[in-house]
Amino acid sequence: MNPLIEQVFYVYFFISLTILSIAVIASKNIIHSAFFLLIFLLHVAAIFLFLNAEFLMIIQIIVYVGGVLALFIFAIMIMNIKEEFRHKRFVKFSIAGLITGFLFLAGLYIFLGTVKSPENVLIKSDVNSLGKLLYSYYFLPFEILSLVLLIAMIGGIIIAKKTPFDREGK
Amino acid sequence: MIPLSWYLLLSATLFSIGLIGFVIRRDLIVMLMCLEIMFNAVNIAFASFSYYNSNLTGQIFVLFSIAVAACEAVIGLAIVLALVRNTGINHSDEIVNLRG
Repeated sequence: MNPLIEQVFYVYFFISLTILSIAVIASKNIIHSAFFLLIFLLHVAAIFLFLNAEFLMIIQIIVYVGGVLALFIFAIMIMNIKEEFRHKRFVKFSIAGLITGFLFLAGLYIFLGTVKSPENVLIKSDVNSLGKLLYSYYFLPFEILSLVLLIAMIGGIIIAKKTPFDREGK
Repeated sequence: MIPLSWYLLLSATLFSIGLIGFVIRRDLIVMLMCLEIMFNAVNIAFASFSYYNSNLTGQIFVLFSIAVAACEAVIGLAIVLALVRNTGINHSDEIVNLRG
C-alpha cells in the first residue's frame, strides 16, 4: 500500500478513536455512551487490520461487539435509567482526576517520543501459524482460560440471580 | 510505513482517556465501559509490539486479554445488577455501607 494513504487512514483512526472515547465519557445518556463504545470497538478492529492481525479483528468484532456490548445494552435495559437525568454526571473532585490523567499522559508521551521502530515487520501470515502456536506452546494457558470462562459464567449467574430473601420480600 | 511510536501514542492516549473516565464518572456502568476502553488500548499496544517484533506471541496475549475482559464484564455487570436490585444505588459515590 502507498505509505501516504496508510498514514492518512491512520490519522483518521487516531482522531476518531480519541473523539469517540471522549464521547463515551462525556455523553449524558448512558445508552448513547454504549453506542459510542460500539463504534469505538469497530474502529479498534480496523486498527488490528493495520497490524496484519486479521484473526484478532474477527475476534474483536465477535467477542466485544457481539458479546460484551450486547451484555452492556441488556444490563442498561434491565436497570432503570430514568434516574440518570436527575443526577450529576461527574464526581465532586473531577478536576483532580483530570489533572492526574493529563500528568499520566504527559509522562507517557515523554517516554514514547524516542521509541525506534525496527526494519523487519511481521510478514502476512494466516491463522494457521497462530493456531499452531496456540495449541502447542500455549496449550496449558488456553485450557486454564477455558476454566476461567466457565467459572466467570457460573459466578455471574449466581451473583445476579434473585436470592430467596428477595423473593420473600415480594 | 507507520512508525511504532505512533501506535504507542494512540495506545497511551486511549488508556489515559479511559483512566480519566474511570476516575471522574459516577455511573457504575460507564466506569465498566471505561475499563473496556483501557483493555482495548493495551490490546493495541500488544498487537503493535507483535507486528514490529515479527513475533506472534503478542497476538496470543491479545486473545487471552480479550477473554479475561469478557469475564470481567460479566462479573462486573452482575455485581452492578445485584447492587441496583438490592439497594437501588447506581452511582459510585453513594455506596457508603462500609463508611467509605
